Amino acid sequence: MSLMNEFTKGIVKENPLFRLVLGTCPALAITTSVENGLGMGAAFTAVLLASNIVISAMRKIIPDSVRIPAYIVIIASFVTMIDLAMHAYTPDLYKSLGIFIPLIVVNCIILGRAEAFANRNSVVPSVFDALGMGLGFTLALVLVCTFREVLGAGTFLGHTILPESKAAILMILPPGGFVTLGCMLGFLNKVQSKTA
Amino acid sequence: MLDIIKLGVFLLVLAGVGSFGVSYVNSMAEPLIAEQALKAKISSFKEVYPLGEEVKDESAQYMKSDTNPLIKEINVAYISGAPAGVIYLVEPKGYGGPLRIMAGFDIAQKKLTAIKVLSQTETPGLGAKAKDSFFQDRYQDKSSAVALEVTKTPPVKDNQIQAITASTITSKAVTSGVNAARENFMSNFVK
Repeated sequence: MSLMNEFTKGIVKENPLFRLVLGTCPALAITTSVENGLGMGAAFTAVLLASNIVISAMRKIIPDSVRIPAYIVIIASFVTMIDLAMHAYTPDLYKSLGIFIPLIVVNCIILGRAEAFANRNSVVPSVFDALGMGLGFTLALVLVCTFREVLGAGTFLGHTILPESKAAILMILPPGGFVTLGCMLGFLNKVQSKTA
Repeated sequence: MLDIIKLGVFLLVLAGVGSFGVSYVNSMAEPLIAEQALKAKISSFKEVYPLGEEVKDESAQYMKSDTNPLIKEINVAYISGAPAGVIYLVEPKGYGGPLRIMAGFDIAQKKLTAIKVLSQTETPGLGAKAKDSFFQDRYQDKSSAVALEVTKTPPVKDNQIQAITASTITSKAVTSGVNAARENFMSNFVK
């Protein structure tokens, strides 16, 4: 497979959120504003990129029987670093993402990519895989965020675009997350079944 | 047996390297985080009690075993060397967890100057509005002589605070914290 392919597969064909339906916990919890989605996507991509590079570079050294604990140690170290860096440099974003930054450790997309891709490929394809998957996840988050923020709060990136009386609070509450994600998955399945 | 030791040593080394990386990032981030916390605290002191020239943490002096447990900190604001205001940090329990609220009182005028919600984990769009200025403004300049109460309708008495629509629990929580501070203020600072 070409490198371009490794990159683009994460965006559409194997989009982690819409096609693989992984990482739904942060996707439901933090998608109340577009800013959160961008921040989460960036933090996630940084961790995925770093962990994919290290794991693919060490794939011949890591003993097979302890690979999962080894992955967790590597991922947790990077997440803690990102967590500290965000606390220091982007305090507002850090506050609004809260517990979901440390929870990137157990994000199944990152562990999934480590096990399914970085473990079997060299560093360069793993970088492209991480960038593609990270971008795909970020785009998916931002899409969910856009629907929820516009319909639920009447704003986009904090700019008011709908009068407050027209905003449906339900959309930024937890049920709105389920409804939005469900509708999107259904819509994408419909589109795919027609084109396939 | 040898295998187990090998695997253990491998993980140990890996975790060691990981911790080293984390501690390196921490050494860079820690001073920045502490500085932000301090800056945030000073600016919120200014917001709830703008007149104070110097603010000292006097919790040790005023916090006793019978002090309301909602009160976490008692800071005294001085103007030209004399205590003029008191700034409380209270932590009442809201709908989604503890709310950290700062409340400022003026000693001479016996009133609440302002409150500020420092952090909260209330429902976005509902209780989270507690941190919005429209709600915090409802507490401004209230007399500290009587306890505040929450109403669902526009207030008719001076000691009434209109609740945030559909967030009575949050509104009551904020008010309970402010009331705890108010009681302490009246017994400790107003003669």
